[in-house]
Amino acid sequence: MNHNWLETNTYHYSAFSDINRLVEAKNKKNLTISLCLPTLNEEKTIAKEIVIMKSELMTRYPLLDEIVVVDSGSRDKTREVAKAYGADVYKASDILPDLENYKGKGENLWKALYITKGDIIVYIDADIKNIHHRFVYALIGPLLLSDNIKYCKGFYTRPISIGKNNLQSTGGGRVTELVIRPLFSLFFPELTQIIQPLSGEYAGYRSIFENIPFPVGYGIETTMILDIYKNWGLDVIAQVDLEQRIHRNQDTKALGKMAFVILKTFFKRMEKSNLIDFKKELFNEMIQYDLVQNSYQPFYYEDKTYERPPMIEIVKYCEKYNIKR
Amino acid sequence: MDKFIDELPSYVDIIKSIKETIITNIVLIGQIPCSTFKEKRRVNMFMERMSDASVDECRTDSYNNPIGIIKGTSETKPPIFVVAHLDSFTEKNVDHNYMVKENTITGPGILDNAIGVGVLISLPEIIKKSNLSFESDIVLAGVIQSIGKGNLRGIRHLLKIWDSPIRGAICLEGCELGRLNYYSDGMIRGEIECSISKFQNRTNNFHPNAILTLNEVINQILKIHLPQRPRSRIIFGKISGGFKHGKTAYDARLGFEIQSDSDKMVKNIYTDIKDIVIGISHEYDVELKLKTISNANASKLSYNHPLVKNAWAIMDQLNIKPVSEPSESELSIFLSHKIPAITVGITRGSNYHLDNARMEIEPMFKGIAQIIGLLMAIDEGICDESQLA
Repeated sequence: MNHNWLETNTYHYSAFSDINRLVEAKNKKNLTISLCLPTLNEEKTIAKEIVIMKSELMTRYPLLDEIVVVDSGSRDKTREVAKAYGADVYKASDILPDLENYKGKGENLWKALYITKGDIIVYIDADIKNIHHRFVYALIGPLLLSDNIKYCKGFYTRPISIGKNNLQSTGGGRVTELVIRPLFSLFFPELTQIIQPLSGEYAGYRSIFENIPFPVGYGIETTMILDIYKNWGLDVIAQVDLEQRIHRNQDTKALGKMAFVILKTFFKRMEKSNLIDFKKELFNEMIQYDLVQNSYQPFYYEDKTYERPPMIEIVKYCEKYNIKR
Repeated sequence: MDKFIDELPSYVDIIKSIKETIITNIVLIGQIPCSTFKEKRRVNMFMERMSDASVDECRTDSYNNPIGIIKGTSETKPPIFVVAHLDSFTEKNVDHNYMVKENTITGPGILDNAIGVGVLISLPEIIKKSNLSFESDIVLAGVIQSIGKGNLRGIRHLLKIWDSPIRGAICLEGCELGRLNYYSDGMIRGEIECSISKFQNRTNNFHPNAILTLNEVINQILKIHLPQRPRSRIIFGKISGGFKHGKTAYDARLGFEIQSDSDKMVKNIYTDIKDIVIGISHEYDVELKLKTISNANASKLSYNHPLVKNAWAIMDQLNIKPVSEPSESELSIFLSHKIPAITVGITRGSNYHLDNARMEIEPMFKGIAQIIGLLMAIDEGICDESQLA
């Protein structure tokens, strides 16, 4: 196991705070950079993310070439607000409409590859309450300043927002510690060096993203790491400490559903790689129980995990980008 | 002068064209908790933003007030000051993350005074974008230790050590658009604290109650004769005390402010309150302490001072309706140094001092245009020959 990776490929965001240096490197390499925000009912946080990124990384420093919002069909004003602040806004279902339609974060990220122009694509969650432009420039930094790094992942301390106006300083990253890290320890100990494999903030070269499949739902962060690790090795990955990130608190049941999808996605990958051989099909339903009028009632959550193929296999994509198949 | 006033409405659109930068500055500065005496992180952010905006000079003074200077074209004209207080009433443990929507920004401390500071640190870029240059240096100062127990220490210090003349000053407050303060009442802000020992032997079996004692203090203060001339008033602004519903209160505190356009009257009323406190302390055999939290002297520009008249005309041109009231802020310190100064509000808002304070984005652009207009007016020399009333 390569224990040095943590030391050599881990950075602090402050190492990239000289944004002029990043712009110079971007221009020297003749690259374009797209920021993609996947959304579903994020009207409370989306405007702040767009405003800050546009002000700091487009107007003040020309690091980003575009900000794109891919929305899963929000029922609130997410799309209107994002448009009002100048982002390019798409409904996921309107992109590649000839394909069967799915809903999920992974679907939005995959479709973003079709509508964005950048050689580098930065994905960040749209629910970050304490958004700062470091969340973006720090992910881009290692990609621009190193010739080897092709994919960069964020990590942070995660206070969670509790109640109306209070913060609790611990409690984030539970699915990581209870699900992903044990799995990585069992199958890929090297990957345990990635501090927050499930963080929703990462950036990479298009050439990487277009060559890997995207599960449409929660499993995207897990498979992305597994696929990049398998195809290009650990050395193309870097991670950056973004310090504090404040997000909405999710209850244990919601995290349970997330863990279910991630486990299923992981096992499918293991099966595909012949690392596990299941004697029977796994079930598709997560069953949770609630006490209702003195009796326990089951609640079913069905996950038909669907995976989009690498974008490079989509004819329309190849036509759009003049890629010979 | 009329020419630039005529052109003012066109600046509104120019300012609006960099709304992302202005909103970002308001959000980034306001999301840093900044209670009085704990302004260091906000000072650092102020300096960082000044440096990002490439102002000609950027430093802190010996009291840690952060200052950015945009150099003027003249070497002889005194500087124009634009100031906003950095500190906020909001406690550190409150969630300071703001919510930006299409037309509003919501979050604690936004109106007092994240907008003021956010606009202040946006001025270098607004001035650049508007293609403006001034003869005077423009000194952009965020002042610390302003509110409450801070007692305007930051601005007092800044003006004490600034050894050259100042041409004029504009103080920025978040709300309300149309606010035009050009006079400042004399003021003493005080606190009366009542504490009763639980263990003190009481010969008459009578145990006093701190809340009732303060109630008596209030009753007696209310009997003080307040003349209509000079205009004077006593405001009871804060009260707290006691432990729980069924237990006699052993401690209680009352916060009040005396305001008058006569410093002598403020002092006289304060002496009356002091006598009341001593009297009740003896009569009820309780410990009553009177503390002065802060004070300011009465000072004013006359209504027909060119700065006031120009401010009126600028607001009129921008369709802003001016509202004048006394203000006990940085303004009073400028005026007491005989520096022509006014305080203006930048936008409209609601829930002023609550955690869900909310500002409206759209009116802000007019609010900023009035600041540009005032800078141009002072730079043209409207304050140069004038005397304070």
